[in-house]
Amino acid sequence: MPSHLEIINARKAFRTPEGGRLIALDGISLRLATAEFVTLLGPSGCGKTTLLRTISGFETLDDGDVVIDGIAMTQTPAHRRPVNTVFQRYALFDHMNVARNVGYALEIAGRDKREIRTRVGEMLELVGLTGMEKRSISQLSGGQQQRVALARALAGKPKLLLLDEPLSALDKNLRQKMQHELKTIQRELGIGFVFVTHDQEEALTMSDRIAVLAHGQIQQVEPPSVLYQRPANLFTADFLGESNLLRATLDGSQARLSDGQTFDAPRAAGEATLLLRPESLGFAVPEGPKLSFTGRIRETYYSGKDHQIELETLAFGTIRAVIRANGTVPEIGREVTLHASATGLHLIDEVAP
Amino acid sequence: MSLTRRKLLHLLGLLGAPTVFLLIFFFGPLVIMLVYSFLTPGIYGGVDWIFSHLNYGRILGWADTRYEKFDPVYLAIFLRSLRLATLTVATSLIVSYPAAFWISRMRPGRRDFAIFLVTLPFFVSLIVRLFAWVLILRPTGFLNQGLMGIGLTSEPIEFLYTDFAVVLGMTYVFIPFMFLPLYSSIEKLDMAQLEASSDLGATRLQTFRKVVLPATMPGIIGGSIITFIPALGNFIVPSVLGGAKVLMIGNLIEQQFLSARNWPFGSALAMMVMTAVLVLLIVQLRLTRRGEHA
Ligand SMILES: Nc1ncnc2c1ncn2[C@@H]1O[C@H](COP(=O)(O)OP(=O)(O)OP(=O)(O)O)[C@@H](O)[C@H]1O
Ligand SMILES: [Mg+2]
Repeated sequence: MPSHLEIINARKAFRTPEGGRLIALDGISLRLATAEFVTLLGPSGCGKTTLLRTISGFETLDDGDVVIDGIAMTQTPAHRRPVNTVFQRYALFDHMNVARNVGYALEIAGRDKREIRTRVGEMLELVGLTGMEKRSISQLSGGQQQRVALARALAGKPKLLLLDEPLSALDKNLRQKMQHELKTIQRELGIGFVFVTHDQEEALTMSDRIAVLAHGQIQQVEPPSVLYQRPANLFTADFLGESNLLRATLDGSQARLSDGQTFDAPRAAGEATLLLRPESLGFAVPEGPKLSFTGRIRETYYSGKDHQIELETLAFGTIRAVIRANGTVPEIGREVTLHASATGLHLIDEVAP
Repeated sequence: MSLTRRKLLHLLGLLGAPTVFLLIFFFGPLVIMLVYSFLTPGIYGGVDWIFSHLNYGRILGWADTRYEKFDPVYLAIFLRSLRLATLTVATSLIVSYPAAFWISRMRPGRRDFAIFLVTLPFFVSLIVRLFAWVLILRPTGFLNQGLMGIGLTSEPIEFLYTDFAVVLGMTYVFIPFMFLPLYSSIEKLDMAQLEASSDLGATRLQTFRKVVLPATMPGIIGGSIITFIPALGNFIVPSVLGGAKVLMIGNLIEQQFLSARNWPFGSALAMMVMTAVLVLLIVQLRLTRRGEHA
């Protein structure tokens, strides 16, 4: 598949007002295939917005390059890059009404009035703001403003859309609706999306691939299921979803947990960390090799579709499990045993210090 | 009931003094001027209480008696004042706009210092500063000596006592008036909007026309008006830098009150200035109203 966007070894440091140097991008390389939906996920301040700004041309890289459709963008000013952005803080033109905001890219491109009006109407319908053409920006709610920002960025039919937390101001229902809309738009228009979010669920449901960032570096880029089931390091495992991370000692063929339980692990001897997702643990005893954990239930949380259980064990401290809510609510304080199948377990070649 | 009464009293207490002050010292003189402009000058100065519209006739063209004769020179001076004041607004705008933009993007510490520098001339007497310009502009002044020194000109150029000198002087005097309102609207400009504009394909020039200019229009209009009004009525700058050649309406009014001692005619001239300013304010109000509706 041809790569549509390519970021090669991007480096960027800021001089802070305090006089220090802050490395925002520390050698980031990322490829985006045509019409691919890639999400940047990472803690606040890890460089997501900075990365988007280097793609759109508002930050110049200290080193490295941004290539779009085979053309290096270093010398291309922002207004000539085939990229539009939905800004984290909207940046709507508050002296223009909604229609002029949405039609801005077309107005700049010199399209005729009727074409602009039609396109603006389509865009507003798409984001669920039909009939709001004449509203001024200050008369819109935060969520409505966010949708205007989205419509404005899409109206000019960019080849690549950068979205910086574009749904963060929406309530859950609207958010889900917009997630589906965005996904549909992206597929139908066949344009690439680089999407930034703090919401893991959003990242998992929408993305073709997720890039996990921390400290200005890419930790891992994988499709959501791979990333969730086989995180490459402790940071990714911990950042994405709930996890039980248990230290394991490897002897070349077997892994041994600190309570003496063993399972097959045909890999080089040393120390590693076993990842057990809460949903892989249960009361039912699986067939074949298994791991078991006995302890006292310390706390349970009910979330509607399942129960989350915190089990206090002697060897591992707290172990988390998620049990589907089908009547039997475990009692706090009871001693129980949880089991997990010991096949296809994922080991991380890293141990917590 | 008692609460609203107390509120009313409170309001009176707050607004009473300024209202009385304005009534006595602002509207009072204005009314006196308006009345005087329709009276006849007394033989030894002062006014005779005889109604006359010929003061306006002298300016606008219908007076034809022995003493009160129409002379187009008054209208010419009035028009020149409008022209020079407009030029002053234009040049101070051209100078202040980029400066305000530049200063608003400075680091906070340097920014405050730069704004302090802009207001610094206020600390020195206006007369002193204007005479400094005389020293610069006169035939043997720094400017001419400099120009001749580097061989650009062989003879001194007449800078002093020209329209140029007056506009230069007024621009110099009124730049802070233009700068401060401009600065306050440019400072509020959201840089993210400029980025958004460029992101959507606009060149710098397009961004300036479509985003920056409309967003800072209140500052441009405000600065222009509070520069135009004092520039139109100014008489100190033209009397120092314009001499007898570049008379402005302010000089004329001053002469009528202090030398010619024709108070009614002076009042009529002052009313012309007032009318021009009022027309301007009404136009501005219309413009901003329309701006709000768009
Ligand atoms: N112009 C700048 N000058 C100095 N430091 C900056 C500048 N812009 C960003 N930074 C710093 O660079 C780091 C990365 O910032 P960035 O905005 O990319 O984070 P982010 O991942 O988008 O965070 P968030 O999720 O909170 O939006 C932060 O530590 C930030 O303080
Ligand atoms: Mg950000």
